[in-house]
Amino acid sequence: MIKRTKTLKRLLATGMAAIMTAGMLTGCGGGSSNSTDSSSGQESSGAESAEAEGGEAAAGELDTSKEVALSMYVISDRPAGQDIVDENLNKILKEKLNCTLKINYIGWAEYANKYPLLFSSGEEFDMAYAASWLNYPSLAQKGAFMNLDELWPTYAPDNFAAAPEAAKEQATVAGHYYCVPQQFATTNAYGAIYRKDLVEGSDWDGVMETFEDIEEYCDIVKELHPEIEPLDQYSAAPEWSLTYMRHQGYNALAEGIRYLWYDPTEENPKVVANESYEKMPEFLEMMARWNEKGFFTKSALSDTDSQKFQNGKAALRVHNIDTYRGQAILHPDWGVSYSNFVKNLSHLPYTQDCMVISNTSKNPERAMALWNLITTDQEVYDAFMYGVLDVTYTLQDDQFDITDKDLYGEGAMWAARTNELNRNPVGTPEEFDIMKAEFEETIAANNTAEKYSAFVFDTSTVETELAACNNVWQQYWWPLELAYTDRETGLAEYAEKMKAAGLDKIMEEAQRQLDEYTASH
Amino acid sequence: MKAFMEEVKKNKALFVMAAPAVLLVLVMQYLPMSGLVLAFKNYRYDMGVFGSDWNGLANFSYLFSSGTGWLITRNTILYNLLNLITSQMLAVLIAIFITEMNGKIFKKVSQSVIFLPYFISWVIVGVFVYNIFNYETGLMNGLLTAVGLEAVNMYDKPGAWPVIICIFNSWKWCGYNSVIYIAAITGVDSEIYEAASIDGATIFQRIRAITLPSIKPTIITMLLLQVGRILRGDFEMFYQIVGNNGQLYNATDVIDTYVFRSLMQNSNIGMTAAASFYQSALCFIIIMVVNAVVKRIDADYALF
Repeated sequence: MIKRTKTLKRLLATGMAAIMTAGMLTGCGGGSSNSTDSSSGQESSGAESAEAEGGEAAAGELDTSKEVALSMYVISDRPAGQDIVDENLNKILKEKLNCTLKINYIGWAEYANKYPLLFSSGEEFDMAYAASWLNYPSLAQKGAFMNLDELWPTYAPDNFAAAPEAAKEQATVAGHYYCVPQQFATTNAYGAIYRKDLVEGSDWDGVMETFEDIEEYCDIVKELHPEIEPLDQYSAAPEWSLTYMRHQGYNALAEGIRYLWYDPTEENPKVVANESYEKMPEFLEMMARWNEKGFFTKSALSDTDSQKFQNGKAALRVHNIDTYRGQAILHPDWGVSYSNFVKNLSHLPYTQDCMVISNTSKNPERAMALWNLITTDQEVYDAFMYGVLDVTYTLQDDQFDITDKDLYGEGAMWAARTNELNRNPVGTPEEFDIMKAEFEETIAANNTAEKYSAFVFDTSTVETELAACNNVWQQYWWPLELAYTDRETGLAEYAEKMKAAGLDKIMEEAQRQLDEYTASH
Repeated sequence: MKAFMEEVKKNKALFVMAAPAVLLVLVMQYLPMSGLVLAFKNYRYDMGVFGSDWNGLANFSYLFSSGTGWLITRNTILYNLLNLITSQMLAVLIAIFITEMNGKIFKKVSQSVIFLPYFISWVIVGVFVYNIFNYETGLMNGLLTAVGLEAVNMYDKPGAWPVIICIFNSWKWCGYNSVIYIAAITGVDSEIYEAASIDGATIFQRIRAITLPSIKPTIITMLLLQVGRILRGDFEMFYQIVGNNGQLYNATDVIDTYVFRSLMQNSNIGMTAAASFYQSALCFIIIMVVNAVVKRIDADYALF
């Protein structure tokens, strides 16, 4: 009996081994033949489609005689009222463009895994949300999206004509358009969102412009309301050094690289690292003082409560002006105020929200035409972004009000927003529009920093170093910034680890790209 | 081959019964293995898995470039060894206690209470941990200051975390693991116990001379099965307990958490595949070694 099981086992083992080797062999074989096929196939198909499109364009209008069903992927949790919104939108689309649109949601809990797979799975769909924070440039470089060089101007002519030059430039990766960027101007304004009601009755001077002002404000809050943490800091990346550097006039090299900086107003900007910036010791000293005074908890990096400001547990946080508006609407009685700390204002890249067309799309022309319609027609835009009038939203003096948050909030395809069509929510403080206008004026008056708003750091050659450096930054910089580690030995250790992780190579590459950009603009 | 066909003929029914399981393993475990080639490729979406260009070992370099590769490998192995030993030992202890208990209701209640943590998600456990160790408002510092001692900042002491993690891991798993041992102990012939007590053996003598030797095969099989998971650190546990707190990483970072953090921000499929390839290869080596050692000692206990 024992002997028999032994032979059986051996047989099974050999069988498995044989199958595995076979699998590998076919895998490799398939690989080599595939690679030649696809590379040659691509070139020819590219040429063909360009010709075909050119021909059609010459023939004129888009043929809408056949009804098509389009689909779009966005990132958000599917709202309960999506079906009502779809029905209403599709009625309009059927009439205007003889098509229907199905919106698919990738939930917040799964987007990090699912989003990149969307483009490699081979699933047939037409449009998707993309963004610089979702690695648009790197995905485009890796061939995830359809080339829009012909499609965009031909089938979305109004959208194309209205797109600012900077937006077009930012949409360009390796010489081609791979996305349609949003046409909604947003600035890099970043600063303190704080509550005035907490310091009422004190002798606070009401000025909030520098980091000394923040300290003064926090001192008063700490004294009057010891139960509230003056600063909102939880386990996400601390943003005090980011705000500090922007306050000094520096830009982060990229959204996800907050340890390398350059000054966009310099003639030939030089890349500066955290550890070698001359004012950094001063900043760390200030943070040590804030830590000592108890402006934030000593266990902040393990605190997962991301809503401390919103829930009244913290008095001040740093973020953008949209977050300020959100908080002001939520808490009209708190005297929520905002103050921009960024010295060199400029527009944010338009690609921070953009629309891409999938390689697998069967009807890219119609999809593009639909995009043109959404971004230029107020009726379609409202149905797309806000849903059904008087069911999911109501209008008051051109401001929209969501009737039931659990039914439908606002569309998640943020890339569709344009300056003309977008509406403010009801309850938007007056200061919001005033401040936004001020930012625009500041930029118009002094646009030296604007030159670099189109600069996108191409990370493809330093990806391994970046992955390692991001880790070091989180492991050593975050505790250092919050003064949990000693500021002198901590800074030295951080610098040493960064060096080992390959920071020099990233800096070299960044400097090369910056110089190139400076020379060509 | 001929012998194999004969074997098939003889045990038709058995082969038919095994077929679904074998198929499942083939489709779910062996087929996806071909995806491991991604670890050596510079993946492009438009060229696909097999069409993308080879790029040698470049995908592996981020693991080792800053010296963290060895640290996290060491952490992963040590943590799993520690957790493996403590949770299994505790499980055996609990199983013996429970089977030796007399009161039926008390027995059932205590077994359920010990089992309960298994159902608590790590997310909740993470919240427990934070509320115990928070410097300003945590339970521990509340107690310490109440009795006049100085508050301790645990998040400042990476050295304490292996112990903390080990305690929570045992707390969560020992009840679940003990069920298997209880079953094994129940299977021991009760006549042996009776004979022993007639001969005047005390309860401790009975445990040492009868219970432990009888469940030894179960213990070894359980250990071997757990060894297979040794390089797959319990990601959720580390992620929920340690989270973003970089201060603790040198003492708590395992391969899974490191890879997760590195690749959260860039969607490099090749680098992810490389990490998983590295894990699998190490895992394979460890299983082979452990199995060989067990075989050396007592061939009957080896897995294969």
